[in-house]
Amino acid sequence: MIVKMVLELEDIPGQLLKALEPIARFGGNIQSIIHQRARKTPTGRVPVMLVFEIGDRARLGKVLAELRSRNILVREVGERVYMLRSAFIIIGHIVHADIRQLVDRLNGIPGLMVSDLSLMMGEPGGESSARLSVAARDRESLQMAVRSLEEFSRRKNLLLIPSAEES
Amino acid sequence: MRMIVVGFGNVGRALIQVMAEKGRELRDREGFSPVVVGVVDDSGAAVREDGLDLKVLASLARRKGKVIGYPGARRRDAAEVIESTDADLVVELTPTNIRTGEPGLGHIKKAMETGKHVVTSNKGPLIVAFRELDSLARRKGVEFRYSASVGGAIPVISLARRLMRSNEILEIRGVLNGTTNYILTRMEEEGIPLDMVVREAQELGIAEKDPSLDIDGVDTAAKLLILHNAILGGDARLRDVRITGIRRVRPEAMRLAREAGYTVRLVGTARRGELEVSPKLVPVGHPLSVGGTLNAVTFRLDLAREISIAGFGAGPVETASSVLADIVEIHHALG
Repeated sequence: MIVKMVLELEDIPGQLLKALEPIARFGGNIQSIIHQRARKTPTGRVPVMLVFEIGDRARLGKVLAELRSRNILVREVGERVYMLRSAFIIIGHIVHADIRQLVDRLNGIPGLMVSDLSLMMGEPGGESSARLSVAARDRESLQMAVRSLEEFSRRKNLLLIPSAEES
Repeated sequence: MRMIVVGFGNVGRALIQVMAEKGRELRDREGFSPVVVGVVDDSGAAVREDGLDLKVLASLARRKGKVIGYPGARRRDAAEVIESTDADLVVELTPTNIRTGEPGLGHIKKAMETGKHVVTSNKGPLIVAFRELDSLARRKGVEFRYSASVGGAIPVISLARRLMRSNEILEIRGVLNGTTNYILTRMEEEGIPLDMVVREAQELGIAEKDPSLDIDGVDTAAKLLILHNAILGGDARLRDVRITGIRRVRPEAMRLAREAGYTVRLVGTARRGELEVSPKLVPVGHPLSVGGTLNAVTFRLDLAREISIAGFGAGPVETASSVLADIVEIHHALG
């Protein structure tokens, strides 16, 4: 399962590491870390949003207990069961195609999250290739992502290679 | 079984050779004695009502000779031979024309109209006029088989017919073109761009001089269309298939796919009334992730879930094996 967690960390060195270590220890795989510096709390703490994958609820419980014992403030735990994973390859002049906009749009789909984006450039002037991995709560979210990717690829003249399972 | 073989190219020659070599086996095991009363190609026709000499024909085939090289052969039109020769079955093996279906379409119609069963490997007539031919065969009470038109040696259509006895076939997905599959496999293995792999494939005789029908997905679409109309029903046309070929696929894309546990394959997907050919990510180890020139087909079914089949989709001998199986099956069906 995939967990989204917002921590409030003291703004001093070493705090993030202290928070991440228990997640790693219980087999969690961290997918993203976002510092929300602009939203510092009145007490000067920095909200940090983590997204990680972890085996099951029992392990998540152990992570939470360990964070508590380390005096790390957990403000929010959003547990999402993203059962479905899929990947897409996109080929074309991707760098000019504003892929950021695409990722934002996909992340806006309820129950869907872009978990990885890798880019490989072609020869100068040639087409590039990208791999976009997503995690989805259900088939419906995944279908919405497919439609969104199809529309984007058509508009930007990109070749979209979806998974044979998802099309 | 008295048959006329129309078309003496790679598949026609292989069929004659296989029948000559397996004559005894076919007789002992299947109770089937092939009698070839006519062979026709664009050079002429050899016809003998009590059967041509299979050994002489096979040796002509081995030398890649034309039919006119058979003793006593003369210039004759195929349609006229089909019409005027007393035979049970016509084997139509002329080259595919996906636009008009000719000359195969005319040959098949002529055969059916004169009460002869038909076996073909020719995609053209099936693409252009499947529904028409299927109903003509029913009307005339003749057998019509075309296993070799899709998947070469792999019994895709007979497997489908068997599955349909208890299942509903919800979807057919297939890697149906050995040339593009070879190109994608090599691109993945060597990390070299498409045009270089195409040149290599041409040197090996895997790709044709003009490989665009393969690379642009048209050949896959043609086979998918045949599977759709024959198995799922309906009367779809080539223009109804949404086609994207593999021209833009790059080695970097193959690498990114591989890192995530996928390979890229040109996949034809058919649901009733919905046909698409395009490159797809296939999980490594999935039945459709076959390498080299192999073909594979996966049926999605309401009861049995998924059934897949793989094998060599092209090659004269492989294709001839499928043609021969159709012929023997007709022999058995007629009792």
